[in-house]
Amino acid sequence: MAALSPWDSNLGQSNRAQLAEIDASCRGSVLLFFLSGMLWLLAGTVLALLASYKLHAPGFLGDAAWLTFGRIRTAHLNAVIYGFSAEVAVGVILWLMCRLCRVPLMAQSLINSAAVLWNIGLVIGIVGILAGDTTGVEYLELPKYCTPILFLSFALIAVWTIVIFRFRREKHLYVSQWYILAAVLWFPWLYSTAQLLLVMDPARGAVQAAVNWWYGHNVLGLWFTPVGLASIYYFLPKVIGRPIHSYYLSVLGFWTLALFYNWNGFHHLVGGPFPAWMITISIVASVMMIIPVVATAINHHFTMIGHFGKLKYSPTLRFIVFGAMSYTVSSLQGVLSAVRWFSETAHFTHHTVAHAHWGMYAFFTMTMFGSMYYILPRITQREWPSERLISLHFWCTAVGIILYVAPLSWGGWLQGKAMLDAQIPFLEVVKVTLPYLKLRTVTGVILAVGHVAFFANICWLLVRTFGPYRQPEPMILAGVQPQTAPVGK
Amino acid sequence: MGIISFILIGSSLAFPAVALYALWWAGREGQLRHHDKAALLPFDQEEPLGQMTDVVLNRSSFPKQTLTNKA
Repeated sequence: MAALSPWDSNLGQSNRAQLAEIDASCRGSVLLFFLSGMLWLLAGTVLALLASYKLHAPGFLGDAAWLTFGRIRTAHLNAVIYGFSAEVAVGVILWLMCRLCRVPLMAQSLINSAAVLWNIGLVIGIVGILAGDTTGVEYLELPKYCTPILFLSFALIAVWTIVIFRFRREKHLYVSQWYILAAVLWFPWLYSTAQLLLVMDPARGAVQAAVNWWYGHNVLGLWFTPVGLASIYYFLPKVIGRPIHSYYLSVLGFWTLALFYNWNGFHHLVGGPFPAWMITISIVASVMMIIPVVATAINHHFTMIGHFGKLKYSPTLRFIVFGAMSYTVSSLQGVLSAVRWFSETAHFTHHTVAHAHWGMYAFFTMTMFGSMYYILPRITQREWPSERLISLHFWCTAVGIILYVAPLSWGGWLQGKAMLDAQIPFLEVVKVTLPYLKLRTVTGVILAVGHVAFFANICWLLVRTFGPYRQPEPMILAGVQPQTAPVGK
Repeated sequence: MGIISFILIGSSLAFPAVALYALWWAGREGQLRHHDKAALLPFDQEEPLGQMTDVVLNRSSFPKQTLTNKA
């Protein structure tokens, strides 16, 4: 069986020693990104709960300027996007690249410096937002005095990812590496271009909206999505012990995503003061996204066929499969949302908010949770301390996000229909959304319980690793081969 | 035109050029061939093809004799 591995002949040391060396080299830096990301997730969750509650109880904490909805909601978005999501993504990128390139992480202090810089920049930015210093540009609200710090930090990360790739021992690339390399090049380009055109030297008039949606859509589709897909393409086959169904489809999915996604952002501007061709080409490109989405969905589903029983044993697999399914659903929902007749009703409503959470939480965040469940025991050489906390985390987040996005999507649709009816006063439109907004707060609490459970389990794991009573323990993390009957058949 | 315009136009030209170079490089290096080999890259001697990794939950119901102790 081992002979099937294509690069065993390249190894100059035992396989176990090499993996141990790679995992040990990643430990400090990846832990730094994961832990700071988790702290941002908890902070972002508190901010989200406050913002959500204010939507149906607007007087709540309304006397303090820094606790008003405009600031709290903006601080939440930036804490979870640039705090949790980006930092955990970098941790996953570093580990995956080292594993797939078969090289240890070099010059960890440089990466650690980038992590510290990123967090300093973000703290300054979030405090700035709460102080009222937001730029007012969606997804780029962080004040401009903190963005050079963030850019410098990410430039270090991007360069170092390419350095890892340059010194790789395995010459053939796996599809996850394609996605990661593209993501670390795409993000600095998107970020710097949008900063120049919207914050440093703002474009005038309607062009601002066009650049804003070009950035806002692409930061999700060309930065977070590739990292999420890279994780799925690695962990899904790895956990079930079966190669991806069609490698050809995975490469097709990558190149078609690269070709079509960049054009998608303008579909948010249907009805806006733009040339018709500009909106139409964006809608066409959005519909063309069916190609990479369906290719990816077929690949993931056919890889899992016959192995669904393994969900019982692996937390990584549970989160990754949930994330993969959510990618398909949220992407197809995105295609539908791009079409004119649908967009005319759904945009500027809570439907868009639900869609964003379907993509960023149900797909990306769940995938990152799954990746962390796989990576953390390997870099700390400790098992997860509590199965109950894992189960609590999974069920709270899975049920919580479904109850969040499905009703809110419908509520947003009803809101859009009501807004298009000139006979309905605006206050009545607001009342239509109230049940869905209240449910959203309840589901936010459920999600928060899941986040606290996960954080508690991570802290427990770290106490076992670094605490005063740490002790070596047997590891049963890999090499699990059913000899009697295939699991899940 | 200001310096920002030059930067933006330059990066707008450079970025597709990098993408085209990557595609050309991938073709030249055989990255778009040998798909069977590439699909096996996540596996190795330690975590080989055919073996489930990450058995964390419900271990009691997993075939016990097959668990490998990695002390």
